[in-house]
Amino acid sequence: MLEPLLGSKNAERVLLFLLARKEGYSREIMRFFGGDPDSIHKQLVKFEAGGVLASRKAGRTHLYSFNPRYPFLKELKALLEKALTFYPQDEKERLLMNRRRPRRSGKPL
Amino acid sequence: MIPLKELTAADLAAFIESHLTSKGIEVVLSGGACVSIYSSNKYVSMDLDLINVLFVKSGRLRDAMSEIGFVEEGRYFKHKDTDYFVEFPAGPLSVGSEPVKKIIELERETGTLRMISPTDCVKDRLACYYYWDDLQCLEQAVLVADSEEIDLKEIERWSKGESRLKEFNNIKWRFIKEE
Repeated sequence: MLEPLLGSKNAERVLLFLLARKEGYSREIMRFFGGDPDSIHKQLVKFEAGGVLASRKAGRTHLYSFNPRYPFLKELKALLEKALTFYPQDEKERLLMNRRRPRRSGKPL
Repeated sequence: MIPLKELTAADLAAFIESHLTSKGIEVVLSGGACVSIYSSNKYVSMDLDLINVLFVKSGRLRDAMSEIGFVEEGRYFKHKDTDYFVEFPAGPLSVGSEPVKKIIELERETGTLRMISPTDCVKDRLACYYYWDDLQCLEQAVLVADSEEIDLKEIERWSKGESRLKEFNNIKWRFIKEE
Protein backbone atom coordinates (compact mmCIF):
# COMPACT_ATOMS: atom_id res chain seq x y z
CA MET A 1 0.00 0.00 0.00
CA LEU A 2 2.75 2.47 0.91
CA GLU A 3 5.36 0.73 -1.23
CA PRO A 4 5.43 3.50 -3.90
CA LEU A 5 6.14 5.99 -1.12
CA LEU A 6 8.52 3.94 1.04
CA GLY A 7 10.35 2.30 -1.83
CA SER A 8 9.98 -1.33 -0.80
CA LYS A 9 7.49 -3.86 0.48
CA ASN A 10 9.73 -4.71 3.42
CA ALA A 11 9.92 -1.07 4.50
CA GLU A 12 6.13 -1.03 4.75
CA ARG A 13 6.03 -4.38 6.51
CA VAL A 14 8.59 -3.37 9.12
CA LEU A 15 6.88 -0.07 9.93
CA LEU A 16 3.38 -1.55 10.07
CA PHE A 17 4.54 -4.38 12.28
CA LEU A 18 6.16 -1.96 14.72
CA LEU A 19 3.15 0.33 14.65
CA ALA A 20 0.91 -2.57 15.66
CA ARG A 21 3.24 -4.40 18.05
CA LYS A 22 5.35 -1.47 19.37
CA GLU A 23 8.50 -3.60 19.32
CA GLY A 24 9.90 -6.41 17.22
CA TYR A 25 12.95 -8.21 15.88
CA SER A 26 13.82 -9.23 12.36
CA ARG A 27 13.02 -12.96 12.63
CA GLU A 28 9.67 -12.22 14.27
CA ILE A 29 8.72 -9.79 11.49
CA MET A 30 9.90 -12.26 8.85
CA ARG A 31 7.83 -15.04 10.47
CA PHE A 32 4.74 -12.86 10.37
CA PHE A 33 4.97 -11.70 6.76
CA GLY A 34 7.19 -14.40 5.30
CA GLY A 35 10.05 -13.40 3.02
CA ASP A 36 13.77 -13.14 3.43
CA PRO A 37 15.05 -12.48 7.00
CA ASP A 38 18.17 -10.82 5.68
CA SER A 39 16.29 -8.16 3.76
CA ILE A 40 14.01 -7.48 6.75
CA HIS A 41 17.12 -7.10 8.90
CA LYS A 42 18.72 -4.74 6.37
CA GLN A 43 15.57 -2.65 6.33
CA LEU A 44 15.57 -2.39 10.13
CA VAL A 45 19.22 -1.34 10.12
CA LYS A 46 18.51 1.24 7.42
CA PHE A 47 15.63 2.75 9.40
CA GLU A 48 17.77 2.85 12.51
CA ALA A 49 20.59 4.61 10.66
CA GLY A 50 18.05 7.15 9.41
CA GLY A 51 16.83 7.83 12.93
CA VAL A 52 13.34 6.43 12.31
CA LEU A 53 13.84 3.41 14.57
CA ALA A 54 15.83 2.80 17.73
CA SER A 55 17.03 -0.56 19.00
CA ARG A 56 17.92 -2.16 22.29
CA LYS A 57 19.44 -5.53 23.09
CA ALA A 58 17.49 -8.21 24.94
CA GLY A 59 19.91 -11.12 25.39
CA ARG A 60 21.26 -11.69 21.90
CA THR A 61 18.28 -10.19 20.15
CA HIS A 62 18.07 -6.66 18.78
CA LEU A 63 14.62 -5.32 19.54
CA TYR A 64 13.51 -2.44 17.34
CA SER A 65 10.88 0.20 18.01
CA PHE A 66 10.04 3.65 16.72
CA ASN A 67 12.55 6.28 17.77
CA PRO A 68 10.53 8.69 19.92
CA ARG A 69 12.99 11.44 18.96
CA TYR A 70 12.32 11.11 15.22
CA PRO A 71 10.92 14.55 14.28
CA PHE A 72 8.30 13.21 11.86
CA LEU A 73 7.12 10.37 14.09
CA LYS A 74 3.62 11.71 14.73
CA GLU A 75 3.01 12.27 11.03
CA LEU A 76 4.56 8.93 10.05
CA LYS A 77 2.38 7.05 12.52
CA ALA A 78 -0.72 8.86 11.26
CA LEU A 79 0.11 7.75 7.73
CA LEU A 80 0.71 4.15 8.82
CA GLU A 81 -2.48 4.08 10.86
CA LYS A 82 -4.40 5.24 7.79
CA ALA A 83 -2.69 2.59 5.65
CA LEU A 84 -3.61 -0.06 8.22
CA THR A 85 -7.31 0.76 7.81
CA PHE A 86 -7.00 -0.33 4.16
CA TYR A 87 -5.54 -3.72 5.09
CA PRO A 88 -7.74 -6.82 4.92
CA GLN A 89 -9.54 -7.38 8.23
CA ASP A 90 -7.92 -10.75 8.92
CA GLU A 91 -4.42 -9.42 8.36
CA LYS A 92 -5.15 -6.43 10.57
CA GLU A 93 -6.40 -8.69 13.35
CA ARG A 94 -3.43 -10.98 13.03
CA LEU A 95 -1.17 -7.97 13.47
CA LEU A 96 -3.02 -6.39 16.37
CA MET A 97 -4.43 -9.35 18.29
CA ASN A 98 -1.35 -11.02 19.69
CA ARG A 99 -0.83 -12.08 23.27
CA ARG A 100 0.94 -9.33 25.25
CA ARG A 101 0.24 -10.34 28.82
CA PRO A 102 2.87 -12.45 30.58
CA ARG A 103 2.63 -16.23 30.73
CA ARG A 104 3.95 -17.90 33.87
CA SER A 105 6.74 -20.32 32.99
CA GLY A 106 5.72 -23.97 33.28
CA LYS A 107 2.02 -23.21 32.75
CA PRO A 108 0.57 -26.15 30.79
CA LEU A 109 -1.55 -24.02 28.38
CA MET B 1 48.04 19.52 8.87
CA ILE B 2 47.00 20.30 12.44
CA PRO B 3 48.24 17.69 14.98
CA LEU B 4 45.01 16.17 16.29
CA LYS B 5 46.46 14.43 19.34
CA GLU B 6 46.19 17.39 21.75
CA LEU B 7 42.94 18.88 20.45
CA THR B 8 39.92 19.29 22.71
CA ALA B 9 36.50 18.13 21.51
CA ALA B 10 35.61 21.71 20.56
CA ASP B 11 38.83 22.30 18.61
CA LEU B 12 38.63 18.96 16.86
CA ALA B 13 34.96 19.48 15.93
CA ALA B 14 35.81 22.98 14.64
CA PHE B 15 38.64 21.55 12.56
CA ILE B 16 36.46 18.83 11.04
CA GLU B 17 33.50 21.13 10.48
CA SER B 18 35.65 23.74 8.74
CA HIS B 19 37.17 21.10 6.48
CA LEU B 20 33.73 19.74 5.60
CA THR B 21 32.39 23.26 4.98
CA SER B 22 35.20 23.83 2.50
CA LYS B 23 33.88 20.76 0.67
CA GLY B 24 30.32 22.13 0.67
CA ILE B 25 29.18 19.80 3.45
CA GLU B 26 27.22 21.42 6.26
CA VAL B 27 27.22 19.73 9.66
CA VAL B 28 26.32 20.89 13.17
CA LEU B 29 27.63 19.46 16.44
CA SER B 30 24.93 18.00 18.68
CA GLY B 31 24.66 15.33 21.40
CA GLY B 32 26.95 14.57 24.33
CA ALA B 33 29.95 16.52 22.99
CA CYS B 34 27.92 19.73 23.35
CA VAL B 35 27.36 18.82 27.01
CA SER B 36 31.15 18.40 27.42
CA ILE B 37 31.83 21.77 25.82
CA TYR B 38 29.15 23.71 27.69
CA SER B 39 29.93 22.08 31.04
CA SER B 40 33.72 22.57 30.66
CA ASN B 41 34.21 18.81 30.67
CA LYS B 42 32.26 18.03 33.82
CA TYR B 43 30.80 15.36 31.56
CA VAL B 44 33.14 13.83 28.99
CA SER B 45 31.97 12.45 25.68
CA MET B 46 34.38 11.00 23.14
CA ASP B 47 31.68 10.84 20.50
CA LEU B 48 31.34 13.82 18.15
CA ASP B 49 27.83 13.74 16.66
CA LEU B 50 27.93 15.91 13.58
CA ILE B 51 24.43 16.16 12.19
CA ASN B 52 24.42 15.88 8.43
CA VAL B 53 22.11 18.86 7.91
CA LEU B 54 21.89 18.72 4.11
CA PHE B 55 21.66 14.91 3.87
CA VAL B 56 24.95 14.60 1.99
CA LYS B 57 25.55 11.08 0.65
CA SER B 58 27.82 8.87 2.72
CA GLY B 59 30.36 8.53 -0.13
CA ARG B 60 31.02 12.27 -0.14
CA LEU B 61 31.40 12.29 3.65
CA ARG B 62 33.78 9.33 3.47
CA ASP B 63 35.94 11.03 0.82
CA ALA B 64 36.06 14.33 2.72
CA MET B 65 36.89 12.64 6.02
CA SER B 66 39.63 10.50 4.48
CA GLU B 67 41.36 13.68 3.26
CA ILE B 68 42.01 14.57 6.92
CA GLY B 69 42.95 11.03 7.89
CA PHE B 70 39.69 9.68 9.31
CA VAL B 71 38.78 6.12 8.44
CA GLU B 72 35.23 4.77 8.47
CA GLU B 73 34.64 1.88 10.90
CA GLY B 74 31.01 0.83 10.96
CA ARG B 75 28.95 3.86 11.86
CA TYR B 76 31.94 5.85 13.07
CA PHE B 77 35.00 7.62 11.72
CA LYS B 78 38.24 7.16 13.62
CA HIS B 79 41.70 8.71 13.39
CA LYS B 80 44.94 7.17 14.59
CA ASP B 81 45.98 10.38 16.39
CA THR B 82 42.87 10.97 18.49
CA ASP B 83 40.61 8.99 20.82
CA TYR B 84 37.58 10.98 19.72
CA PHE B 85 35.39 9.34 17.13
CA VAL B 86 32.96 10.99 14.77
CA GLU B 87 29.46 9.98 13.80
CA PHE B 88 27.19 11.60 11.25
CA PRO B 89 23.63 10.97 12.46
CA ALA B 90 21.03 11.55 9.78
CA GLY B 91 19.32 14.94 9.74
CA PRO B 92 17.19 16.88 10.08
CA LEU B 93 18.71 18.82 12.96
CA SER B 94 15.97 18.53 15.55
CA VAL B 95 15.18 18.32 19.23
CA GLY B 96 12.26 15.97 19.69
CA SER B 97 9.68 16.86 17.06
CA GLU B 98 10.91 20.41 16.47
CA PRO B 99 13.62 21.71 14.13
CA VAL B 100 16.60 23.48 15.66
CA LYS B 101 16.43 27.09 14.57
CA LYS B 102 19.42 28.69 16.28
CA ILE B 103 22.99 27.59 15.59
CA ILE B 104 25.84 28.87 17.74
CA GLU B 105 29.07 29.72 15.92
CA LEU B 106 32.31 29.85 17.90
CA GLU B 107 35.62 30.86 16.40
CA ARG B 108 38.37 28.50 17.53
CA GLU B 109 42.03 28.36 16.52
CA THR B 110 41.27 25.33 14.38
CA GLY B 111 38.23 26.74 12.60
CA THR B 112 34.60 27.68 13.13
CA LEU B 113 32.61 25.47 15.46
CA ARG B 114 28.89 25.29 14.71
CA MET B 115 26.83 23.68 17.45
CA ILE B 116 23.38 23.69 19.01
CA SER B 117 22.68 26.32 21.69
CA PRO B 118 22.77 25.59 25.44
CA THR B 119 18.95 25.71 25.54
CA ASP B 120 18.66 23.23 22.66
CA CYS B 121 21.37 21.10 24.26
CA VAL B 122 19.24 20.88 27.42
CA LYS B 123 16.19 19.98 25.29
CA ASP B 124 18.22 17.33 23.46
CA ARG B 125 19.25 15.72 26.75
CA LEU B 126 15.76 16.03 28.19
CA ALA B 127 14.37 14.23 25.12
CA CYS B 128 16.47 11.19 26.16
CA TYR B 129 15.22 11.55 29.71
CA TYR B 130 11.58 11.96 28.70
CA TYR B 131 11.49 9.10 26.19
CA TRP B 132 13.90 6.58 27.67
CA ASP B 133 13.87 7.50 31.36
CA ASP B 134 17.61 8.03 31.05
CA LEU B 135 18.67 9.68 34.31
CA GLN B 136 22.22 10.26 33.04
CA CYS B 137 20.76 12.54 30.39
CA LEU B 138 18.84 14.50 33.01
CA GLU B 139 22.09 15.01 34.92
CA GLN B 140 23.80 16.15 31.72
CA ALA B 141 21.00 18.66 31.10
CA VAL B 142 21.50 20.01 34.63
CA LEU B 143 25.28 20.30 34.07
CA VAL B 144 24.67 22.46 30.99
CA ALA B 145 22.12 24.61 32.84
CA ASP B 146 24.58 25.08 35.74
CA SER B 147 27.26 26.40 33.40
CA GLU B 148 25.34 28.33 30.76
CA GLU B 149 22.39 30.68 30.50
CA ILE B 150 19.35 28.74 29.33
CA ASP B 151 15.82 29.79 28.48
CA LEU B 152 13.70 27.80 30.91
CA LYS B 153 10.42 29.24 29.57
CA GLU B 154 11.37 27.99 26.10
CA ILE B 155 12.20 24.55 27.49
CA GLU B 156 8.82 24.51 29.22
CA ARG B 157 7.07 25.44 25.94
CA TRP B 158 8.98 22.72 24.10
CA SER B 159 8.25 20.12 26.78
CA LYS B 160 4.55 20.93 26.46
CA GLY B 161 4.81 20.44 22.69
CA GLU B 162 6.36 17.03 23.34
CA SER B 163 3.43 16.20 25.66
CA ARG B 164 5.87 16.06 28.59
CA LEU B 165 4.78 19.07 30.64
CA LYS B 166 4.07 16.93 33.69
CA GLU B 167 7.57 15.44 33.56
CA PHE B 168 9.06 18.92 33.09
CA ASN B 169 7.20 20.29 36.11
CA ASN B 170 8.60 17.44 38.20
CA ILE B 171 12.21 18.33 37.34
CA LYS B 172 11.94 22.10 36.82
CA TRP B 173 13.46 22.81 40.23
CA ARG B 174 16.73 21.24 39.09
CA PHE B 175 17.16 24.09 36.58
CA ILE B 176 16.32 27.03 38.83
CA LYS B 177 19.51 28.73 39.99
CA GLU B 178 19.67 29.98 43.56
CA GLU B 179 20.32 33.72 43.87
